[in-house]
Amino acid sequence: MKTLTTALLIGAAGLACTTAQADTGKLLLTGGVSSVDGSAGGGLSPWAVIGSNATTGEIGGSAFVTRTTTQDFGMNVYGAAVGIKDRVELSLARQDFDATPALALNGVAPFGVTPGQHIMMDVMGVKVKVAGDAVLDSDTLMPQIAVGLQYKSVTPGSLSSVFNFLGTKTNGTDFYVSATKLFLAQGLLVNATLRNTNANQNGLLGFGSGAPGKDSRSWVPEVSLAYLLRKNWAIGAEYRVKPNNLEDLGQAAGLGKGLAEDAWKDVFVAWAPNKNVSVTLAYADLGRIVPGVTAARNQSGYYLSAQFAF
Amino acid sequence: MKKLLASFVPALVLAASTGITCSAIAQTAPASTAAPAKASSALFDTFGGKVGLVKLMDDFMVRLLADTRTGPHFKPTNQHRVKEQLVDQFCFVMGGPCVYKGADMKSAHANLDITKGDFNALVEVLQQAMDAQGIAFTAQNQLLAKLAPMHRDVITVQ
Repeated sequence: MKTLTTALLIGAAGLACTTAQADTGKLLLTGGVSSVDGSAGGGLSPWAVIGSNATTGEIGGSAFVTRTTTQDFGMNVYGAAVGIKDRVELSLARQDFDATPALALNGVAPFGVTPGQHIMMDVMGVKVKVAGDAVLDSDTLMPQIAVGLQYKSVTPGSLSSVFNFLGTKTNGTDFYVSATKLFLAQGLLVNATLRNTNANQNGLLGFGSGAPGKDSRSWVPEVSLAYLLRKNWAIGAEYRVKPNNLEDLGQAAGLGKGLAEDAWKDVFVAWAPNKNVSVTLAYADLGRIVPGVTAARNQSGYYLSAQFAF
Repeated sequence: MKKLLASFVPALVLAASTGITCSAIAQTAPASTAAPAKASSALFDTFGGKVGLVKLMDDFMVRLLADTRTGPHFKPTNQHRVKEQLVDQFCFVMGGPCVYKGADMKSAHANLDITKGDFNALVEVLQQAMDAQGIAFTAQNQLLAKLAPMHRDVITVQ
């Protein structure tokens, strides 16, 4: 998977060189930014837009790096995407999650968690636009609609023993449908995504749960709003509901609400200094993340992402 | 007369709200009564009325010709005529006291190779021209929202 990511990054860079003269023609910011899972959209949610600057008949690419930090955790993400004819998007992302507080789990049972453990997750995404034009169909309510999947593979390192205890799997696939509409006269973009998933904390804590936790899949809604201040400045907010598969298992294991999971939220500002670069700064509230090892507090903090696209 | 007008219809011209509306007006409005009484709109006023639109189009055309993406589409046109028609079209879609007398968008672009990238490039150049005239971003978007649906008739290469 790492090789794949590297290959895609190199491929994207190669495309950038060969197509530098052939301008790709999306309007500013209408390809979205790179979400934490690598799909084009907001920061937390995939949108129905196809990533890169490529519009109909063109091929483009994008690459991004994201850093987010909360009271107890930190995560770096990098990845790349290819947009094909404003119809198909292929994306790869690698998440590097600093799970240092999980060391406290050794006090619950002899899990053998090593200090400074990181959880790595690779996400491979495919998205296909099926109808509509989010930007130009400004005389109808019809949104742009896309369907997508994200195949996720997580490497827990010394936390494998914890994953085994929880009965979570190390890979899973999210399916989603997204509808994106720019109300152009008002400068307001609305996205709604419905995701089918069995991921815990987006997959960083595996997929599904041993009994009596929830092992089945859930449909969860996600909503993003963005308001255009200028053609290259947008502000917005996101809300992403997540399953709460592990809480009941934690309860049964005597951990109380120690494994509870909450929705993710953020407010953001995105800026595109030119057609090829966008920078997104957000304040994210990720709710509880393994509250049993983090004094049961909410995890909130900044989210900074930079994207290069062509 | 109609045929003469049609022959001057420019490449990539942005016209009145829909092809049907345009052609209906072109057929029903006699060429001699160019400006029937029609209430002026707030958006039209924001753009400085007809005087403001003439200024906007003068600058827009300079930029269209200078831009490497749009230049090749506009160099072969009668630019003076294109500007006149754009003034009438923009005035009309904004609810101003004008009538667009050119051909409908679909037939005007049928013989041209226009991609979505070309269409978006024109939108970008228009945004630059509107910025240069100091037109507020919110007003720009109100105009663009009226023009954007024309992509269905203007874009000929999918």
